[in-house]
Amino acid sequence: MSAADNSQGITPMLAEIREGIAQGRVPARIFNDQEIFDLERRKLFGKAWCFLAHESEIPRPGDYVTRSIADNSIIVARDEHGNICAHLNMCRHRGNMMCKSEMGNASHFRCSYHGWVYKNSGELVGVPYFKEGYDTRLDRKQWGLVEVRTESYAGLVFGTLDPQAPSLDEYLGGFQFYLDIYLKQGLGGSEVHGPPDHWVAETDWKICAENFSGDGYHTPVAHQFGFHLGYFPSSGATHSEGWAVHIPGKGHSIGLGHTPGMPPFFGYPDDLVEQMHESLSPQQLEVFSKTRTAVGSVFPNLSFLIQPFSLVPGEPGVRFCTMRLWHPLGPGRMEMWSWCLVPKGASDEYKEEAYKAYTLAFGQAGTFEQDDFENWTKVTRAAGGSLAQGLEFPYVMGLDRPPLEDWPGPGHAVSPYVTDTNFRNLWGTWADYLARED
Amino acid sequence: MPLQAPGIDREVRESVRDFLYRESLALDERRFRDWLAAFADDARYEIPVRVTREKLAEWELSPTSRIFDDTKETLEVRVRRLETDFAWSEQPPSRTRHFVTNILVDATDHPDEFLVRSNCLVYRSRGEETAPSIFSAQRRDLLRRDGGSWLIVHRWAALDQAVVNAHNMSIFI
Repeated sequence: MSAADNSQGITPMLAEIREGIAQGRVPARIFNDQEIFDLERRKLFGKAWCFLAHESEIPRPGDYVTRSIADNSIIVARDEHGNICAHLNMCRHRGNMMCKSEMGNASHFRCSYHGWVYKNSGELVGVPYFKEGYDTRLDRKQWGLVEVRTESYAGLVFGTLDPQAPSLDEYLGGFQFYLDIYLKQGLGGSEVHGPPDHWVAETDWKICAENFSGDGYHTPVAHQFGFHLGYFPSSGATHSEGWAVHIPGKGHSIGLGHTPGMPPFFGYPDDLVEQMHESLSPQQLEVFSKTRTAVGSVFPNLSFLIQPFSLVPGEPGVRFCTMRLWHPLGPGRMEMWSWCLVPKGASDEYKEEAYKAYTLAFGQAGTFEQDDFENWTKVTRAAGGSLAQGLEFPYVMGLDRPPLEDWPGPGHAVSPYVTDTNFRNLWGTWADYLARED
Repeated sequence: MPLQAPGIDREVRESVRDFLYRESLALDERRFRDWLAAFADDARYEIPVRVTREKLAEWELSPTSRIFDDTKETLEVRVRRLETDFAWSEQPPSRTRHFVTNILVDATDHPDEFLVRSNCLVYRSRGEETAPSIFSAQRRDLLRRDGGSWLIVHRWAALDQAVVNAHNMSIFI
């Protein structure tokens, strides 16, 4: 494409990309491209429901955390009435950032520039020299913090910058069935173990979101040490077993790995398994009792993973659950946010044990995590190369495979777990967003 | 902590300092087995998550979140992993240099155990990257006298960055 074509916009290229995705081809350049990133910022992160926080991060009135949707800093707070609300982290007077810490507790936010004061629910309540300076010209009701629409599911607070966006329920479109494996581990639900760790990486957020949409294919190679030393209860021979499910047109997907011969719900303590028989539906129990690994993504950039980890090869070990946000910073650059979710009703001993397994496997020093980012940064770098601009990748695995007819859950399910089926849906949804009219 | 602390035997101070330098050398020369041998069987190795907070907040090093949260057994897992051909994040390996300064030795309730504070700056270079990762940390080690040498009973290292500018932590502090 010449420079002249570029100046006419990226629309013709998007049409080609969409056609290619339907046939199982994805262009390499999307993983490191300024124009694509600019479109994502506006048409994808400006329209989708984006994860903000877990309710357990702000349990008391006044608790807040600062998060982002694309390049917008957002304050997520629990107000004095216990309601969760989100506002742009920007004073309405001259635009200074209101909260500069990651988390805290405050009934009010005071701007450090000219001193405008807002309640944590966003109302403007204090304006220095209000009478002397503004006469009657400033209507405080009009100048509260800019509200970001929020909705929650099972502890997850999402926000959208689009006032016209459909409800979160509609957006998730049945994926709640699968999210429950992470969020309803027992009757008390899940909670974060502590503040997330976060770090920056020269990686495009989409590579990671794709990986967590069920890339079972990379595991035996990228994480070969885990198989080799026996810390991962699956072998190269059985690893492809299981199911891949996505919600058509929504972009959400999950890979459910299965290891034959393992007891149901292996790696969870008995009391938790008992509780899950009440917190989950019979259909969910049928699916999840057979699941070794559940790795899934809520479109666009929130992912989850449950897997067992055992220091003693051959034993079920312990289950940990990580929740991660692939926060875009620029083309080929992101900030990783990583939490450990633990079952709220579990014993403190189990929570600690699960957390330790998480840090060993999937925190930023996690032995599995380290290798993923090593690969992803190299993919990103290659995708920015000039020759890569005209290249495509094959996404044809499982292209003509029909969905399972007797699958107990919602969505489009195929077997085995190792397939590109979820990814074609992911990229199709992604391209649909980018091609939408404003 | 008072600026003038009760004196510690000069020989102990010099021996501790020498030990920390040799330990750093083992890490920088990737002699991870030698390094692991310097840990007591009941050792703990932890790096807390730092959180950017307002000045009056109760803590800024998370009481619950850790980047590393290891026992000797799990450090052994990490070292065993590095000994395989599949530790891709260290293939080719990081080049590290540990700079250890400001070593302060204090007595504990136990005559054979000392609390050792130090500053640690780790320079890490990878592949052809010209920009290194630099980790600055405060370390607090509990060292136990073991015959003529020392064992690390507890290493606690707090990074000064809240958002670490490295795509992974496949090295040790």
